This record gives sequence, C-alpha cells and structure tokens, in this order.
Amino acid sequence: MKIGRTHSAKKMLAQLMLLAVPTSLMVFYLLWDLNRFYVILENNWISQGTYFTIGLFLSTIFYSYRFRFITSATIIFISCYALYKAAGTFAFGEFDAFYFSVQLLIFGFLFSAGWLAGFGFSRTRFFTVIWSVMLLFIQIVVVSKTADIKVNVIINAFLPVLAYTFYIIYMSEMLRNMNEDEPNFIFFLSKRLGGFTIIMLLLLLFIFTLFKNDFQAVEREWGGSSAMNGKGNEKSENMNKKDGKGNVSNKDQTKLTGSLSKDKQLVFVAKLDNYFDDNVTPNPLYFTAFYYTKFDTLTQTFERDSMMPRNDLFLPDPSKIPLYFTVADSSAIKNSLATKNRKVVTADIYKAALSPDAYLAPSTGFSCQPVTVPKEVKDQYKSAYRAKMWVSDLNSAYFIYNPAGNQQLEAFQQLRFEKLREIQKITGPDKNFMSYYTFMPKDEEYKKIASLAKEVTADASAPIDKILAIRDYFLSKDEFGQPLFKYSDNPGIPGIPSANKLTYFLLENRKGYCAYYAGATLFMLRSLGIPSRIAAGYLTVDRSSKNPGWYWFYADQAHAWVQVYFPGYGWMDFDTTVPDVNTQQSPQPDGTPPMTVPQTYIVADGNIISIDTIKKQINMEVKKMIYHDKDYETASAKDLNIDVSLATITADTGEVRLSSLKKGMHITAVSYSEELKNILADKSDSLASIIKKLPIPTPVDEVKVLLIEGLKINKKQEEQKANEPIDWEKTIIRALLILLILLILLFLIPSIIWQYMNARAKGKSDLKAYHCYRASLYYLNQLGYERGDMGPLEYANMIDARFKSSFNSFSNAYQKAKYSNLPLSDSEKEILNESYQSFIKKVRTQIPLKTRISKFLNVYNTIHYFTQPKIS
Amino acid sequence: MEENIQIDQALANIQKLVDNIETVIRGKRTQIQFVITALLAKGHILMEDNPGTGKTVMAKTLAKSIADSTGSSGVNFKRIQFTPDLLPMDLIGSHIFDDVKKEFVFKKGPLFCNVLLADEINRASPKVQSALLECMAEHQITMGETTYPLEKLFFTIATQNPVEMEGTYPLPAAQLDRFFIKIYFGYVDELTELDIYKDYLGIQNNQDHMKQVLSMKEILFLQEETEKVFIHEEIITAVRNIVRDTRNHPDIVLGASIRSGIIFLKCLKAFALVNGRTFVTEDDLRGITTAVLDHRLIYRNREAKQKALTTILGKELDRLSKLKITINRTSFAPPAGNI
Repeated sequence: MKIGRTHSAKKMLAQLMLLAVPTSLMVFYLLWDLNRFYVILENNWISQGTYFTIGLFLSTIFYSYRFRFITSATIIFISCYALYKAAGTFAFGEFDAFYFSVQLLIFGFLFSAGWLAGFGFSRTRFFTVIWSVMLLFIQIVVVSKTADIKVNVIINAFLPVLAYTFYIIYMSEMLRNMNEDEPNFIFFLSKRLGGFTIIMLLLLLFIFTLFKNDFQAVEREWGGSSAMNGKGNEKSENMNKKDGKGNVSNKDQTKLTGSLSKDKQLVFVAKLDNYFDDNVTPNPLYFTAFYYTKFDTLTQTFERDSMMPRNDLFLPDPSKIPLYFTVADSSAIKNSLATKNRKVVTADIYKAALSPDAYLAPSTGFSCQPVTVPKEVKDQYKSAYRAKMWVSDLNSAYFIYNPAGNQQLEAFQQLRFEKLREIQKITGPDKNFMSYYTFMPKDEEYKKIASLAKEVTADASAPIDKILAIRDYFLSKDEFGQPLFKYSDNPGIPGIPSANKLTYFLLENRKGYCAYYAGATLFMLRSLGIPSRIAAGYLTVDRSSKNPGWYWFYADQAHAWVQVYFPGYGWMDFDTTVPDVNTQQSPQPDGTPPMTVPQTYIVADGNIISIDTIKKQINMEVKKMIYHDKDYETASAKDLNIDVSLATITADTGEVRLSSLKKGMHITAVSYSEELKNILADKSDSLASIIKKLPIPTPVDEVKVLLIEGLKINKKQEEQKANEPIDWEKTIIRALLILLILLILLFLIPSIIWQYMNARAKGKSDLKAYHCYRASLYYLNQLGYERGDMGPLEYANMIDARFKSSFNSFSNAYQKAKYSNLPLSDSEKEILNESYQSFIKKVRTQIPLKTRISKFLNVYNTIHYFTQPKIS
Repeated sequence: MEENIQIDQALANIQKLVDNIETVIRGKRTQIQFVITALLAKGHILMEDNPGTGKTVMAKTLAKSIADSTGSSGVNFKRIQFTPDLLPMDLIGSHIFDDVKKEFVFKKGPLFCNVLLADEINRASPKVQSALLECMAEHQITMGETTYPLEKLFFTIATQNPVEMEGTYPLPAAQLDRFFIKIYFGYVDELTELDIYKDYLGIQNNQDHMKQVLSMKEILFLQEETEKVFIHEEIITAVRNIVRDTRNHPDIVLGASIRSGIIFLKCLKAFALVNGRTFVTEDDLRGITTAVLDHRLIYRNREAKQKALTTILGKELDRLSKLKITINRTSFAPPAGNI
C-alpha cells in the first residue's frame, strides 16, 4: 500500500524546523516554569519536554502522509490509556504502582498533547490560534497562583508566550501559503522570516522603551517593599524602618498596628552639652526626628503635616552640607514660641546605623554642621554632625518618672512643676494655632476618651496638673494591686477590625507600646483643650556615669511621646508611656565615646578640577572656606592644590578610594596640619589672598565627598519619580493609544500600498507598463473586483462592462508587450503609457467616495491580492 | 512582408470560417474556436454531450466550409456511425477480389477522407476504437504489408455520449490521449435557443448552401503557420509547471504525460492564431488548458475533477501575472528563425 503525501518532504521539513522546534522549546520552557509550582511534575521537566517533543515530531511526520486523524489518533490515545492502566497491574509494590502510573499518566498526557499539536500544525489551519490561546491561558493560571507578583514574573510568563504566539501564527500561515515547488522556496522563507523577526524586535523594543517607566513603577509597587524587607506582610512592624542600604531612620512609628518588634542595633551616639544648674549632672533630652500633628480618622494613623501652624521643625539633610559648614534656620527658634528659661545647647551626633540624611536633635534644633568622624572610630560611625538647639531649662528626659530617690532630680521636678503651674489657662498665639493643636475627631469613640479624660483630671485645675493626673492614671494600680496599664510590644488586635484601637487600648486592653500611650494622651489632652502633638524620635537613657553627657541610642529606643505647648515656655516633652519592665532589667552596655575632633585650621569646599592619583594631589576650585574658624566666601572660585597622601577620603557610604573620585565632584577638604597653625589671616585678607599664603600643595587630613550638584538634582528627580504612584489611567490610555495607532496603521496598509503602487505607475521607468498594470489590478482588487482565476482578457472585459472603460485595449497591449516578439505599434505604446491615469480616474468617478473608503479599509482584500494560490 | 500579408489574410480567413460556421451552429463560438484550434494544430477533437446538441452538424458544417482542391465543393467529408457491432474493416476498408484484374484490390474505407465524423465513438467496441489509433496519430493506415497514407488534411471529429449512458464503452486512456481537445458541447442559452427555433428554416437553408470560405490550401498554410506562432519562454515554463503539477496534485491519480505537454503547446499556438494573434498569451493558457488536459487526467473523485485543474491553472496565471516584462522582449527584435 502506498500512502500518498499531504505535504512534500520539503514542506514537512520546514514544518519540523520552523513550527515544531520552536513549539517544543516553548513547551520545555513552560514545563520548566510549571515544575516550580506543581509538585506532581517532580522537577522532571527535561524528560517531560522530551515526551511532548517526541509526540509532536512523530505526529508532524506521520500526518504529512495521508493518514486519517480520527482512527490513528484514537489508536494512539487508547494505547496510551491501556499502558497507563496496565502499569497498575504489572508493577510490584504499591508505591511502585502508584509512581509508575503517575509517570505514565504524565507521559501519556504530554505525548498525546504533542501528537495533537503535531496534527494541528500539519493539517488544521486555525489550530495555532487555539494553541496559543491555550498556552496564554496556562500562563494566566500560573501567574495567578504566584504569591509575589513582580514585573519580571509577569514578563517572564507572558513575553515568551506572546512572542511565540505572534511567531507561530505568522509562521504557520506563511508555510500554508508558500508554494514549496517554488525553486527558491528556502530563499523566500528566510526572507520573510528575517523581515518578520526585524518587525517583531522593533515592535517589542518600541513597546519596552515606551513602557519602561511603567514597568519599573509596577515593579516598585508590587515587588519593592517585600523585596527589601524580605518579610512581606507579616503582622509585625519595625519602629525603625531600614532603607535599602541597611540604614535606620524612624520614619513612621506611630502606626497603631498589632505588634512591634525591636532590635538592639546601635543607631547613633550623641554627646549632649546639657547639664543641670550645678553644671555637673547631665540633663538628658529626648531626641526628636519630627512631629505628628494630625490624626487621620479614616486610616487610624497619625500624620506628619508640613502645614502645621508655627512649624518649628528644622529638617536639614546633613549628607548634603559640606563638612564643617553650618546650615541654620532661626525661624525654628521664632516658631518655637519660647522665650522663658531658654538656652542654646550643642550636641554632637555620631551616626552608626542612622541614615546619613537624617537629622535628629532635642527640640528645638536650628543648626546643623557636619563634622568629621575621628579616624579611630571610622569603621563604627559613618558620619557625624554638630547640632545646636534652643532648649528649655525646664525640659528633661526626667520629666515624668519618679526620680527614684535622687534628691536633685526630685527638686528639679518640683521646681519645674511649680513654674508651669503658674499657667492656669493655656492660650495660643492665635486662634488657628489653638484649634489646630486641640483638634479632636467627632466620633463616638473619641467622646469616650474625652469623658475618661474629664474623669481622670476632675481634681486638677492647672494644665500641668491635668497632665500629671493623666500620667498618674497610666501609672495607677487596679484593685488587685497590679499596674492598670502594661507596656507591651504586642498588644494584639482588637476583635472587631474597625474598632478604634485607641479606645480599645484605653478602656479594655490597657496594653501597648509608646505610640498607644502617646496617642491616648494626645487625645485626652486635646479633649481638655490643651494644645499638644506627638513627637517621634529616640528616648534618651542616661545609663552610665562614666562619660557624663554621652548617650547611646539603640534601635529599641525609637519612641513616640507627647509635647505640650505652654505659653512662654514653648513645647515641652511629656512621656506617659509606662516603663517596660523587660528593657529596664537589661541595660545595654555603652561603648567608649569617640574622641573629640582636633582643631581644624582650614576647611575648603568646592569641586574637583583634576586628580593626580600618582602624586596623590587634587586640584580643586574653592568657593567657600573656613580658615582658623572664620568663614570666607567668594563668587569667583580660586584654585587650590591639596595633598591628599595622608588624608582619609569619606563619603556618606563610608571610606572611599582616591581613584573613585571624579572630576567635577563636590568635596570638602579639612586640614589639622600644624603647618597651617602659624599662617594667620589678617582682617583684610580675602579667600584669594589666604590661598596665596598657603603652601603648595596644602596638606589635608580629611576629604569628604558630597554629591555633585547635577547628580543630586537628577537623583532627586528620580526619587520623586520613583515615589510617584503609577498613574494607571495614564498607562491604560497610553496602551490603548498604541493599540489604536497600530489598528489605524493596519487599516491604512491598503491605502499606503496603493499610494506606493500609484506613484510607481505614474513614474517613468522601463517597466512603466508593468507598474501601471499591477497598480490597476491592485486598485480594482481593492475595490472588490477580484481577478480570481480569470484570464487577463476575460477580466478586462468584465471591468470594461462594469465601468465602460477601455481596460481591454490596455490589457491586450500589455499582453503583447509581455509575450510577443512583435514590435508594439505606436498606438499600443501610447495606450500603455498614457491610458493608466484616465482609466483610474474613470473607475474612481464611478464608485462613490464612501464605498471607496470602506473598500480601502478592507485589509483582507490586500492580503488576498498578495497571497499566492496553491494547488492543494 | 509577403508572408505577413498572407498571415493577416489567413487570420482574417479564420474569423470568416468561424463566422460562417456560426450561421449554422448558433451560440457556440467558443466550441467552434476549439474545433478550429484542433484542426490547425493538426490534431483531432472529441466532443461529448447528450444527443441532439449539434455535434454532428458542427462537423458537417466545418467540412462544407472548406473548399476542396477543385474549389467547387466542400472537402471530402465522411461520417461513420459507431455501433457495438462495427468492425475495424468497416472503417479502414478491405481487399476485395477484382473479377476483371483477377486480383485482390484494396477498397478504401471511410477513413480516407479529409474530415471524418466518428459519431458516438464510445458505442463501438475497443477493437474498433483502437483501429482509429494509427490513422489519427500517424496519418496512415497499414493493411497487411502495404501502408496507405491518408489525405494531407485529415481531421477527425469524434462525438461521444456521456459515459454514464447505457451501451457505451469508455475510451481507453491511450485513445483519449490522441484527441488534442475534448469539449463539452452543452446547451445554448435560452435566448439563442429561441432564436434557433424561430429561424430553423434559415439555418437549414444555410446548412444546405454552405459557402466555402477557406481553401484546403489555406488550411494547410495555416497549419504550417501554427508551428511558427511565437511562444514566450515563460509560457513554456508555465506549461511545464501545469503539466508537472497535474502529476503532483494529491487529487489527481494519473497526471498529464510529456506528449500531452507537447500537444498542449501546439494547441496553445493554434488557439492564439484562432484568436487572431501570432503570439501566445495568458489568455490562451486560460482558455485552453481545461479543454486540452482535462480528459487526460484521472481524478481521485468527482469533486477533484471540478477543482483540481482550475487551481493549478489559477496558480500559474497568478505567477505569470506578477512577472515583469522582460526587457529584451520589449526591444522588439524578432528572433531569427521565426516568421
């Protein structure tokens, strides 16, 4: 029996190479992907892919002969099924039976799938569409099962399948339409394939560049947070948020969540020059980072508000201030509204894990001057700054707690209560100020808090007494002699999800961490008309008498407390959080304080002009300089040559090497060199004249790298961009626009081709007649007058009958020119050269514009026109 | 130039011939053209259709339209009605004893003529059908040891009833292959039919008083001219492709032979002449392919019979229509040896 062929061997080979091979690669990829999600596949994707591939290839070859599908496929499927059933009876152990049958099931399924696919590619035209839709569907299912959706997951899942879809539909259609008897079949095939690949790549590139930002934004939105924390949506939240570099800052510690976790990491060390009147006993102060002044009732969270009245928050970025230069803001002092019992206090802050751009200081800070970290402790502290603040004599970290028998502290507390008790009624500088800082939400829940506050402070009249009454309420004991309120990092979530956490805390649970106490206190105070706000920062613990004035801050000291406004005295800290029994029992050991910084003689700030890495010299242009503690500044920069052979070069990230410095970078050079000690500056000296006095090169001990201005701006913009939420609407509109443009382009294709053909026909060339003929044919075809399998004369007669034209004579002359050995007569030549335009015009006038437009939108006609007919 | 005038004259004569026949055979211009094509290609034609569609009249009219060497009447026309009991001898003639000369002399049968009408050819047994083979192909009859040449102009018009009808012997493939062209006569459209009924007397009259528009000499000249018709290389390629496609087509069991290809080329040339051209175009290809090839192919099924050849031709026409005019052809230098 001789079985006839459906396709020639050449076509079969093309199908194997161009359809089957990519398909099996795709399936390999898919199986590899699926193996990660489904246990049943047992990470055996290579052999599974091979099953499919075998099925696919066998079937493609098999069906290139004229075999009947239903009978052959039924036999195959039945034998697969029989094999699977038989495995159960033949295997020995129960486990083996199960194992083999599962293996055979997978084999049977994949082999059959491959077989079906092979048949589809070989015989069915629209199989590729169904097949691609199926693959896409599988990917959708897989992606929907993925727990952490990141943009690369989506890209990995869909991009290959999409590309494959385009490819396989195009390719199968092309193979179907190709005439494999064509002598240069392979050439055409590769030409088309190449063209297709280029278009695909361009399209993908175009889409990718257009959506790059969106892709990244999507990634940040979906993947960013969980990728960095690595914990995802756990029920705990860090008081200290770590940013990407492992730096700590307490960005958001007042969110009332179920529990709080803390660690013992050293955040920073500070030397605070604040002492009691005896000038010996250090007076610790809480370090504030920022204030929460607004409570959002919807989200149950406190908010920072840059619009708060009398904003006294000084927020410089120490990482962007040149070394030893000072940034100060006196409006902070003015807005602190404090005049009585005030003094300026200095603090040196050495940052360990604290982020370089964070500024912490006891309120009210108004000045920031980055200083160098001594060499010996450089590996421990990354950067340092000196802060100055406008501090009240009455303020202290010892403001609430019982001083535990310390006479001096007790006396101090009494003193300050006395002083504050003089204020019987708190009045703000204006109405707005008062209503803002005493704002209470109107809910039922807050009325409960208000009534509690009233009850608790019933006996007190002066505001300070009311505050103390609230403190005492938190410290009071219940009827069993147990503390009424307990400190807990894990207060638990209230049973009813929407219940107000603060009411729950105050009235029922009575367990919580600082944010609960601060929040509850705030509302109690505000309900009593006392202006207050929440401060976030670090609580200061004076643990050691070894180094008076030095304080160590660990991550678990991140804190939130209440500040109350007293007219004349300004904002005073009040901490109502009950002591955490656990922390107090295990105080952390404090380290040795960093050595004090040596006297600086010169601090020069400017950009690098050139670097000599061999001589270790830098040429910089100086705009600002501090010389012997005196500031100099100039509009026209002066060049200064510095010797950095002994210098330590640091950036915010730590020590860097000389070779990593680049031209144009902004640096600050500091020198402690004794050489400069005796070169004194006169009063009349300017920056330029001092530089002239300096030795060349000037020895430098310290170089601090700041970001270049340009880079800084770029980075800022980038950050801004990064933080912008994705505008989904915009993205969708953009995607739709692209789709629309593509669609319009698709519909414009016939017109574009016509314009091209028409232009060629109108042009002058040896082949003018040919172009005219082809263009006429295209035009007529597009208008719905298909040539079909008519002969030229037959077709021309039909057209002439329809349009009363003389296409006939043109066609005849054309045929003569094409196939005859006779010379064309002059009239024939004229017809060939001249009749085209009048013919087109004649056709055009006889078809209404509306019909023409709709016909020219019909892409199908164009496809039909260019499709090569096939014999089978 | 003289030849050119002659050819123009001959081309005009062909039109005259067609017009002349059309006075009798109404509404069958295409069929008439095919008949003349077969005549010019020195081939034979097979007409198939139901009885009474004008096949016989067509043959007669053609014979009457061509003047014999004397020019007084039509060429020698013979008609044989094929029946199941017909014997080869009835066609080619037999030796009979001459009483006077006392020897056997050959009495020529009806094959020795110019135009032969083999009516209902498929009613005769295969033996008789085969007897036609030699004379149709080689224009000669061998009887015993003697070979008798046929007339210079020998043209067979065979008719057959559809194979499905009772009492028919289907023609063997070899016999079919001898016929250059096979056409289906078919019925005329309703207007023409009405016309025929109205004017049947006139038609009868025309048939009886047929004008001889072409001389036999002219026909022979045209037959020679046919060979000289210019055929473009691409058309030859197209013929090659079509013939080969019939062999590769999945729905065709038996494709066309090489002889068919040659006949195809001859018919193309003749058809071009009939259409008043001295070069072959796509139209000729389109017009004649089915008539020339269809009866030579054996199809897998009935559906294929209707589609296969059309698709093959369509593919080739598409290829040709997309070809550019080759520059050396547009220089119009007549190749040596032709015309």
